[in-house]
Formats: sequence, C-alpha cells, structure tokens
Amino acid sequence: MSSQVVCASQADRIDTVKTLKAGIVGAGRMGITHLALLGSQPNVNVVAIADDSQLMNRALTRYRPDIRLFTDFTKMLKEAELDLVLIATPPHLHAPMIDASLDAKLSVFVEKPFTLSAEESRRLTARSREVPGTYQVGYVNRFNDVFMTVKQLIDEGILGRLFTFRSDMFGRTVTRPSSSSGWRGKRETGGGCLYEFGSHAIDLMVYLLGRPALVKGTSLTSVFSTDAEDMVCTNVVYSNGLTGSLTVNWSDESFRKPTNKVEILGEHGKILADQHQLKIYLNRAAPPYVKGWNTEYITDCFTPVPFYVRGNEFTRQICHFVERVLDPAKPNLSGFSDATVTQEVIDMVFADASVEK
Amino acid sequence: MIKLDSLILGDNQFFGINHMSQEKAQQLAERFNDISTVFAAYKSAYDLGIRAFMLNSNEKAGEICDYFRTHRSEFPELVLYPSIPYPHKYANLVAEQGILGAIQAVLSGQSAIDLLGFAGRGLSLLTGDITRIITMLIDVEMKIYRRLDFKAIYLQNIITDLLLGLEFRDVFIEYCQYVEKKFHAAPGFLTMNVPRLAAYLESCGIQNAVLCGAVNKRGYLMSPDIASYEAYFRGAQKFPMTAMSIFASGAIPAREAVEYIGQQNIRSIVFGASSRQHMQATLELVKEFA
Repeated sequence: MSSQVVCASQADRIDTVKTLKAGIVGAGRMGITHLALLGSQPNVNVVAIADDSQLMNRALTRYRPDIRLFTDFTKMLKEAELDLVLIATPPHLHAPMIDASLDAKLSVFVEKPFTLSAEESRRLTARSREVPGTYQVGYVNRFNDVFMTVKQLIDEGILGRLFTFRSDMFGRTVTRPSSSSGWRGKRETGGGCLYEFGSHAIDLMVYLLGRPALVKGTSLTSVFSTDAEDMVCTNVVYSNGLTGSLTVNWSDESFRKPTNKVEILGEHGKILADQHQLKIYLNRAAPPYVKGWNTEYITDCFTPVPFYVRGNEFTRQICHFVERVLDPAKPNLSGFSDATVTQEVIDMVFADASVEK
Repeated sequence: MIKLDSLILGDNQFFGINHMSQEKAQQLAERFNDISTVFAAYKSAYDLGIRAFMLNSNEKAGEICDYFRTHRSEFPELVLYPSIPYPHKYANLVAEQGILGAIQAVLSGQSAIDLLGFAGRGLSLLTGDITRIITMLIDVEMKIYRRLDFKAIYLQNIITDLLLGLEFRDVFIEYCQYVEKKFHAAPGFLTMNVPRLAAYLESCGIQNAVLCGAVNKRGYLMSPDIASYEAYFRGAQKFPMTAMSIFASGAIPAREAVEYIGQQNIRSIVFGASSRQHMQATLELVKEFA
C-alpha cells in the first residue's frame, strides 16, 4: 500500500526537472526535522529559513552558511525566489503565512493542525484551488505503513459493515505544570492536547472512516495546563450509524512516546492497529488473512525510504509533497481539503465541549 | 583502530523499547519495571561470558551505572558502550520549553560546581560558541558513566541522522575530535542510514569513527535499501561496524539472523535478550558463525 508513494533516492534525481528552491519558516523541532528531510530530497535545495530564534540562527549561520536566514517571513517570500515553502510555526501563524504563500504562488506544506478554525481552513482550501501548486498538511499518520494498510483493508471492505470504533492517542508530553509554558500550553496559539495530539487521532479517524456527522459527550480535562486541556474524551457518530470514541491524553506517563491506536469493529471482524502493529480478527477467511486472529508487524508491511530520520512516515510525507510539486497530476494523500474535514471535527469537539459546560 | 567486542548486550529490552510492537514493548516495560530484574539480567549475561554492554543515557541508566560501580568485583572486565542522549528526554523538553529552553534545562540541572562552571563559561547559549554548547551537552550526558570503562561513545541515531540530513559537517568533525580527546574513546554513531553516513564521514575527513546500524535480512530500518547495505559491506569498509536490530525486533529466526550477519562480513553484534536462555542461544550462534 505504501507503494502509493515512491520515494526518489539521489540516484533517481530527475535531471530534466529544475531543482526546486525551498524555504522553511519556523526552525523548531519540526522545522529542523523538515530541513533534514527536504534537504535530502534529490530535486530540492533549501535556500532560505525564516526564524526569530537567536540560538537557531547562530547555529545555522555557523553550520549552514549556504542557507539564507531571515527573521521576517514576508521578506523571505519576496527575496528568496522560492518554489515551495514549508510552514512549521506555532499553528496560530499558519493561516496568514499560507495566505502570503498563495499570494506568491508557492506550493505549501504546513504542519498540523492546518489552522485554528474550519472556516479559515475552508477559505484557504478554496483559495488554493485557484492557484496552481501543491498544498499539503503534515498529518503524518497517513504515511505510516501500518495505517496505510488499515486504510486499504477498510476500503476493500474486509470488515463488511462497520459498527463501532475507537481512535486514541497517548503520550507523556505534558507531565508537570511547567510543561505547558510557551505556545503549546495555550489554545489561542494552537496549543493544548486537542490541537496537538487530538488532531492526529481525529485525522486518522477521518482518513480511515470519513467525515462524521456528530460529536457528543465531550469532556476536556486540564490537569497541568492552565490555558488548555490535557485530556480529551468524546463520542462520534456517523450518518450510517457507525459510532465510536476518541480518547486523547498527552499527560499519560505510562507511554514512552506518542502513540496512536485505532480499533474498528465490523460485521466480519475487528482491526486493532498502532504505528507498529496490525491485528485482524476475522469471522471468515479473506486471503491472505485466515479466519480468527492475524498479526502483522511493521517488519512485515514496511517499505524502505531513501533517508530515515524519525520514522519512514516522516520521510514519505515529504517525498509525497515533492513528488506532487513536480507532478501535480498525482493524487494528494493529505491535502488542504482532507485537513479541512479534520479541522471541522476539531471545531465540533470544541463546540460540544462548550455546550456541556 | 579499535576492536569492537563481537557480542554486545543492548538495553532496549530493559526499557520497554521494541521497534516492532508496542504490545511487546509494554510487556518488557512491565517485566523489567523492578530494576533488580535488570541487574539480574546483566549478571546472567556477564556470567555467560558477555563482557560488553551498550547502555543509553536514559533515566534508569544512572542507577545501572551506580550498580556496576558498586559491584565492580562482579564485573571486573566489563566494557560499556554508552549511547547518548536519550532522545525522548530532549523531545519532551523541546516540546515544553523550545530548543533554547531545553538546552538551558539540561545544562542547568547540574550540581553546584558545574553550575558555577556553566555560569563561568558565560552566556554561551545566547552569544557564545555553539561548539562549546555541544561539548557541554556531551559532558552532561557522559556524567553517569564516570569511572567505568568504555571503548566508544555512540551518538543516538535520531541525532546522528538528523545531523546527517542537516549536513552540519563541523558538528561531526568536532564531536569526533572531542570524544577522542576528552574521553579517549572512539566516536560512535548509531544510524539508520549506514551507507550514506559512511560516505559523509569520509567526505568530512573523519577516520576514527565506529558505526552501529540495523543489519537484517528483512532490510528493516536500513535506508535507502538492503542492496545498498550489502554493496557497502562488500566494499572496503573504512569504519568498524556493529550490527543492531539483527532479529528485526523478533521477525527473523535467531539462526538465520546471525548467519546473515556473518555473510555480511560483520564481526560485532549488539543484541537484545531478556532471558539467560536467549543470551546463551545467541552467544552459541555467534560462536558458530564467527
């Protein structure tokens, strides 16, 4: 399934195509990861970075004197003659930056969550349709080998009619009060557990099952954060009767690293999956899967990537973005319109939570 | 050039890490929750003749190093292969406080004497030399291993591979010089991109590095692909190599796994085993195919 994205290696460099000039805004954890991944793409040169951190600017000046540094994003767009821009800033800055990038007719990769409102997401999606280019949001689970396999199985109807599901995400990002300082601790800057973690769990649900009709019974719990939630529990209903729950917690110390889990029950069995493992229980054989329990590990279903930094999925989503910049005819696996549906569900969760109060 | 131990016991199994299954990882975390079970496993390994342990500087490693120091008579020939840092500690700190805040937190969480030293070295975080910050971070990570013997110090793969992608050439050069000079050990790199890293280190003029990367017949965690690795191993390898993830987290039967490593002309393996039986079985296989 992962063969949907064929990652080019250096040897596959397309010499007939011009080298794409890339700019990155936001040199934090994700921006730096993307610098490493974009920089290793055969047809991309990262020529400019915009960031206001003194430390990062000093490190980049010292170690990458070839990259032009800006403290002003608009100036970078004006002066760096870019083909594409990668936005990895706190989420509340995404929308104005996407607007500016669309004005400059650049392809855009923006980190998740897309924006802070469905309305803004819809507006930007509509705008992006008017501009030739590639527009992708960093919902990285859509490029994970296991979840791509689950998507294929669900689409093929291996479980038949679907009844119930769960989509959960757990991690230990915020485990003390001081953990929530900075933009990640404030909802208005795109922080909090729902935007940071919940967006992944919701996007995975949307990716696998589509857009739900209704969200109800939401609780947002704050334990450590004062300006945002640390835990989210809610229920989701689809128009075809499929119902499920979302449980998201970024303050669960028992998890060593952020983990997504999904469980989907249908008339022919059940799928349990996380980033590394897929279990399928079937009440009838569906070759190659036998009746009863089937277990597949990431070691069974992975496809290698040309350069590994944080997991195959991180490389693969950047490969996909660059491939589509070079050839926009390819289908977009994580486009603005997909992320808009996810954003609509995030809004539904917030709206339901405020009703509950 | 250093001679790497032929069999090195890794530590992922003790800390709930399994790259194939979070369920297995969870079982391991439960099994080794009591640190005395970890000590017992190390004792078994040593009794079987395994003299080298790779140990990541995670939150439990300090306690393990304390144990080795206080039980030195039981581990007289022990050689450690530290791997630094524990990446999730930094990931969480960076998520909390940003990159600058994370570095400040790590460097200032030290004893009074170090703090003086840190202050004495001035406001190096904001204005000083970036190299100095990196060497200070290495010193902090290496503290737990004091007065223990080690041959090589490995940079964790997430850091190595990030730096490789960033093409921070001078960091590689400075790291290699610093580790040799300060710790009299070989600078090591864990990586998921062995052929690319080897070529890059060579282009940096680095001679003294040792590498550790996944090598298994599934090609798991081997970027760009297994064929590139096999071609690299057939050539004149400039850097001594230790193979990790040889069982692909349990996907490959032990015998096949060890045989494959032998065929690749690799003489050093780091492996994970949680029981004495498993350690012994691996030891025998390594002897057979060496």
